[in-house]
Amino acid sequence: MPRADVVVIGAGLSGLACAAELAGSGASVFLAAKGMASTHWTHGGLDVAAPDGASTSRDGIARLAGSAGHPYARMSDHVADAVAAHRARLDGTAVAMVGDLDMPLAPIPTALGALRPAAILPMGQGAAVGPWEGQGLLLLGIGHFRDSWVDYAARNLTAGAWPGGPAEIRAVTADLPGLDARNNLNARTLAVLFDDPAWRARALAAMAAVVPPGAWRIGVPAVLGLEAHAEIHAHAQEVLGGAVFEMPSLPPSVPGVRLFDELRRRITAAGGRIQVGFDVVEVERDGRRVRAIHTEAASRTLRLAADTFVLATGGIAGEGIRAHRGRRLEERVFGLPVTAPNDSEWFSDDPMQPHPIESLGIDVDDHLRPIDPTGQPVLENVRVIGSSLAGMRYLEQRCGDGVAITSAHVVARSLAARSAAA
Amino acid sequence: MTFHDAAARDFPAFSTDACIKCNVCNTVCPVSRVTDEFPGPKYVGPQAQRFRGPGEGSDAPDHSVDLCSGCGICTRACPAGVLIAETNNRARAGIVEERGSSLRNRLISDTDLLIRLGTPVAPLANIGLKNRLARWFGEKTLGVHRRGPLAPFSRRTFRAWWKREKRPTALEAGSDPSRTVVYFHGCAVNGFEPDLGRDAVEILERNGLTVIVPPQECCGLPFISNGLYPRAREKARRNLESLAQYARAGYRIVGTSTSCTHALKAEYREMLDLADDDATAVADATWDICELLVDLHDRGELDTGFAPIAESIPYHPPCQLKSHGIGLPAMDLFALVPGLRAVDSDHDCCGAAGTYGLKAERWQIAQDVGAPLFAKVRAAKAAGASRAACDSETCRWQIEQSSGVPTVHPVSILAESYRRADEAASEPRRRLV
Repeated sequence: MPRADVVVIGAGLSGLACAAELAGSGASVFLAAKGMASTHWTHGGLDVAAPDGASTSRDGIARLAGSAGHPYARMSDHVADAVAAHRARLDGTAVAMVGDLDMPLAPIPTALGALRPAAILPMGQGAAVGPWEGQGLLLLGIGHFRDSWVDYAARNLTAGAWPGGPAEIRAVTADLPGLDARNNLNARTLAVLFDDPAWRARALAAMAAVVPPGAWRIGVPAVLGLEAHAEIHAHAQEVLGGAVFEMPSLPPSVPGVRLFDELRRRITAAGGRIQVGFDVVEVERDGRRVRAIHTEAASRTLRLAADTFVLATGGIAGEGIRAHRGRRLEERVFGLPVTAPNDSEWFSDDPMQPHPIESLGIDVDDHLRPIDPTGQPVLENVRVIGSSLAGMRYLEQRCGDGVAITSAHVVARSLAARSAAA
Repeated sequence: MTFHDAAARDFPAFSTDACIKCNVCNTVCPVSRVTDEFPGPKYVGPQAQRFRGPGEGSDAPDHSVDLCSGCGICTRACPAGVLIAETNNRARAGIVEERGSSLRNRLISDTDLLIRLGTPVAPLANIGLKNRLARWFGEKTLGVHRRGPLAPFSRRTFRAWWKREKRPTALEAGSDPSRTVVYFHGCAVNGFEPDLGRDAVEILERNGLTVIVPPQECCGLPFISNGLYPRAREKARRNLESLAQYARAGYRIVGTSTSCTHALKAEYREMLDLADDDATAVADATWDICELLVDLHDRGELDTGFAPIAESIPYHPPCQLKSHGIGLPAMDLFALVPGLRAVDSDHDCCGAAGTYGLKAERWQIAQDVGAPLFAKVRAAKAAGASRAACDSETCRWQIEQSSGVPTVHPVSILAESYRRADEAASEPRRRLV
């Protein structure tokens, strides 16, 4: 492997966004990941910042930036740029985003009938936000698809409080052609079916047949195609006679798969390389610099040398950081120091409450270089992005995507500026 | 690999406990993308594994694991380190052990036998391969699809050519491990594509390496893919017996098929449980030819006097290559040829998966898996490409037959570039005479 300018480790949103931006700016990029992950489990939109009480994402950013140690405390000035760069990258594709940092955070329904605050969403989910103004919410399920239960979701939504919500919530289910005879049905197989124009036409007709009279916004499982999503979404609105929004189902998340595929295409089209499936097993150092990493291979290892290494391997959930017996924490690539709450305070008593352990991660300086407890950079040519960063509780604060793309943007821009200067 | 690494290496099914049911594998499986008959890697892998007894085949919930093409994409995508494809392959071998295998599967796996039978009568056999009636008969009696991608037999095997040229089959006195390599040609070069073998040798020798071709057989991968482990072990043991001495002495074993070299590197140990010193030595010494040439280049030892080839060529990195974990060395080499622009197919799998795409009952699945790739290759041809490139033989045959575009190994393009350079260099001399 000829050396790359940058090796990015990790194929979640932050790693993909960083590699896409770097490759787009002309840098040679090699993205190495041990597997695919977060995009396929999440909703495909951008949770930038929605802590309790925040009115907009911008307000949320300000609130989080005020808490010491939060990644936004260092990066809040860059979020707007990062969101703009990310949106520009995706504009004109089926995963183009709608909404912005100043839009009111609106409660939108989830597949299980909970509400979550959102503002920036993929185009296909955009109709979930915005004032209801007397419209009803119709949850239109797909028969035989066991990863989406619209009756259950409607019951939960009806039972819960939804201030300013729809005038009426109703669930209907459509039987789509041939699904009763299928052996296997998941979100991906349905999305592939929707890509077929002939099947799609019959399926949308069957869906239209169960839409009751009335003024509805229609939520459907997020399975409206992988390759032809934009066209299918437009077609669905036309046939169903109302605004249609996708609701991400249980994993796999089709909107997340679309996002992964689009970013992957961006990276490879710009000459970047992606290798998925091999863990980093060795690091070559030269004092405070990393010369190369080695990834596992069928035999021997693959040596990847670069000027800069971007760590985007995630926290506990992404297995970028592992907790061992005796509550020893290990950052798995470089063995960086991990900052975590006191080990007596890792978990809440109530399993459904946020757990302090979520905030663990790597402490960094303004260049997002990993630092030791004295504030000195541990490795000078390593940058840390995404949920590897310490100090956020992304489930509760709903800031994971925003931190991911902002840290990716900060690093990509500073590296691009440096190579331009050189 | 992240879960109980050592244990999982010895017994891939052990890794299935790490499955978190995230369904990522189901989003990348090329077979379940096109057919409803295959329930996907998660079901036939980690879920069904819980019902399998110690023999791995016993108590198999159903036969659906046999629809797995073995491409390995699921294993690479899995964030939890589950060896899904490996588990599936072993499960199939368990079923075959209990319930036997078809004549068809035993025959198409035995490539050495086919070459022994076909080569002496190559002209006749090749007429048969192209004859629609004969192929129809083959489909009805054997179950080999009439349009399954089969390459014509060569009239002379690579080994016969090697012998006729009196080239070395063993080390000569004073051999230097850093300047001598062992060529593992595999059955495809031996019986179907000897020109590729000659291209490879030419390139290796041009770069100062002496090439020896010791006794060897088919790597056994077709048997492995068809769950015929005892036969695969016979092949593997004979190859290890022949190759291990070189590996131990520090010689590199280089192959032109990313499928064969992956078998030597990984499958012998992961599937066939041949985890002895010989298998480890051979695995550590085995190189894909492009991997080796890139390594030479990294050391500044590669002759980079490539003549220009002004062409944009679609390149399909095969699944087996991606399982090597060596990046895309062919792309690195293409970048050294002036004017040559290789475009990554950005497509998961060609569908062939060794013998999978030959089978009457699998042919359509294999075609559907590869269809977007064939369309891209045809579009590239319409835009001026004279050929496509791919590192594994059965993938090349599948792409070539289904797209109608000639498909070659990357080193054949490099060899052509070197030859052009030689021609250009020799022209002035000719003029002087």
